[in-house]
Formats: sequence, structure tokens, C-alpha cells
Amino acid sequence: MKITHHADDATILAYAAGTVSEGFSLLLKAHMELCSHCRERMSLASDLGGELLCELEPVPMSREGLSNVLSVIEADTLDSVTPFKSPSVSSDMTSVLSEYVPHRLDELPWQRLMPGIRQYQLAGIESGNGSVRLLSISPGIRIPHHTHLGGELTLVIEGAYEDEIGHFKAGDLADLDASCNHQPVAVGNKPCICLIATDDKLRFTGLLSRMVQPLIGI
Amino acid sequence: MLAVTKLFNESENMAAIPVSDTRIWLRSVAERRDRHAFEQLYGYFAPKIKGYMLRQGADDASADDLAQETMVQIWRKANHYDPQKAAVSTWVFRVARNLQIDRMRKQKFYELTLDTDVSSNVENLQHDEQLENHPDTDRLKKLIGELPEEQIDVVRLAFFEGLSHSEVSCRLSIPVGTVKSRLRLAFGKLKTGMGEQI
Repeated sequence: MKITHHADDATILAYAAGTVSEGFSLLLKAHMELCSHCRERMSLASDLGGELLCELEPVPMSREGLSNVLSVIEADTLDSVTPFKSPSVSSDMTSVLSEYVPHRLDELPWQRLMPGIRQYQLAGIESGNGSVRLLSISPGIRIPHHTHLGGELTLVIEGAYEDEIGHFKAGDLADLDASCNHQPVAVGNKPCICLIATDDKLRFTGLLSRMVQPLIGI
Repeated sequence: MLAVTKLFNESENMAAIPVSDTRIWLRSVAERRDRHAFEQLYGYFAPKIKGYMLRQGADDASADDLAQETMVQIWRKANHYDPQKAAVSTWVFRVARNLQIDRMRKQKFYELTLDTDVSSNVENLQHDEQLENHPDTDRLKKLIGELPEEQIDVVRLAFFEGLSHSEVSCRLSIPVGTVKSRLRLAFGKLKTGMGEQI
């Protein structure tokens, strides 16, 4: 799968440092399972974390620290050693998603937001003021103009869309910050299904869409 | 108890520990459940992990507990470490970071699995020397040392104080865009310096 849109370096560093929201971590993991370009950068960012850890001034451990740890591991049974499981390798976006979404995409209890746009909110993912949701956008349908109070990550699962930035197809990740005002439109002959995580509310810029925002809860 | 005291005395000089030693210790733990090698790892890493937890906002007792718990995880998961994929420090950092997110932020974190089965890789290696440059930590250390202060400061706030981009922006009273551009500049230098086509 040829992936052309990637996570920003600043986002990769935040992911490696562990400061992104749970929802962002889910999208970044899903994207990177297929994207070697981002995986390589993630690997370097993690090496940076390791190197910085080594440079930290050591703080003496408590006197009983080591004996505590030794007594815990001595009490370990064979079961305590975490067995190694080869990571499952996914070949397409839908199989990446199957880990987080309970049903096949066409069997999900989609909720209609407005004509041509349906959503499915992923439950149980902590995202502060933001959210993690799947959007299904029918061909030719535009998402109203909006900016973001925080950041927004969009991962295309099926189909494609275009906006002011470019053409996004399955596997591509759009990494947008608050300064970006965009109006995506689904292209092609089948619905564009995206996984979208925000870490704050979106801000619609048109009058009509500002009126419907409280109703659709984006 | 004698061994414990000896270790504490040694830990004062831990800065001199070469990277290859930590790798040998971790592999001994993975392959032979080597208790002595584990104590060496503890002496080197536990005080640093405690420092990391303190910087993340834990009090002294909690930071000590979290460092101990990280060491227990290192013992239990040692067989997940793949010397071909990452430096020991990288792997230890990830274990500590995940524990910190779980215990201090009470948040789930979807981590990218970079590990592969270590047993199959070990068989392919005749000599430990073949692993010397995975990755080139000396080069990375040098590049980090060359980063301008304003860039490494932002990197440290993210990695050690657990601050998001907007939190770093508030802390330093600079726009979020500036935080991100400093991070990009710093990371760009590391990428170029490590010779990665990424």
C-alpha cells in the first residue's frame, strides 16, 4: 500500500514521549502498522527518549528498593513472564481497524448526521474534550468548513477525499492543527470512511454549520 | 544485603557504563534469567527511571515504587527485547513511559509494537559485535548534544515533564506553532545526522 500523507514530526515526538491523547495514540498506531516511513521516524524518536533517559541525573533508590524487586521476581511463577506474541501484521486498513471496532464496517450501527454523512462514535476511548469517531461520507458530499481548537488526526480507512491540502486515500493520515481551515469532499464512487480523532472541539466557520454543530456533536 | 550495599556504591560511578554492557545484561536476563545481570541493570537504570518519574510529577515514594515496578516489568518482559531493533535504553524508556501513562495519567496508550521474536533473531547472529551499531547511540548522543538550547528544552519538556504541545506553549509562553517548529527543527537535525532517509 502506497501511503503519501504522514504524521508530522512534532506529532511523532509527542507519540514517542507519550503525551498524546488515547484517541491520538490509537490512530497513530493504526497508521504506523502500515506505514514504514512513520515507523522509522517513531523508532528514532523512541531512541531519543532512551538517550535522554540515560542522560538523566540518577536519583538514589530507597534502601529496600532492590530487595523489594528481588522478592517480587522470586515469587514469580512461569506464568508471570509475559509470553512473547508475534505482533499481528495487517495488510489493509480494515484489518487494522478490526482490533478496535466490534463489527464489520457495513454492520456498524451508524448514526446519520446530515444527508450523506454518517458517524459511529468509538466508545471507551479517553480523549478529553475531543472524540474518536468513524465518519462515512458519500461521494461528492462536503464536510462543512471548519477549523480546530486543538489538533485533528484523520486516517482514511476506505475510499478517498480531497481538500485544500491534497488527495487522501486508504492508509493516508491527515495531521492538522488549529491553524488549518479545511473543507474535505469525498471523491470516487464509494463512500469515504475515515477514523477521526480530535483533542478538542471542532469549530465550524459557516453560519449554518455553526447552527447544526450542537446537534451533531462534532 | 552486602550485595545491595556494594551496588549502591557502584551506582555513583554508573555514568561510565558502556552501552554494550547493558545489552549483555539484558540478554542474560532474557536467555538465562540471570539474577546477577538483573541487579546490574537495576543499579544502572532504576535511579534514572526514578528521576524520570519525579520529573513527571510523582512524589519521592511513588517515583521509587514506579521505578521498582518498571524493573519488575523489565525482568518479566526481557524476552521481548530485540537487540537488532533498538538500544536497551530505548526499550527501557518505553517500558517506563508506558507504566507512567498507565499509573499516573490513568490512560490507555496504544503502543506501536516494534518488537519481533527475539529467539529467532538471536540464532542468526554469530557474534555480539554484529549488534554494535543498532542504533548508533554514540552518534545520537553527540547530535543531541549539538542541538540549540531552545530546541532541546522543548524536547525535554515533552519527554520528561509529560507536557503536550499546548502545555509546553503555556509553560514557555510561546505559541503552539513555535513549539512544533522547534520540535521539527530538532528532529530534522537528528534525522539528517543519523543518515536516515526519513
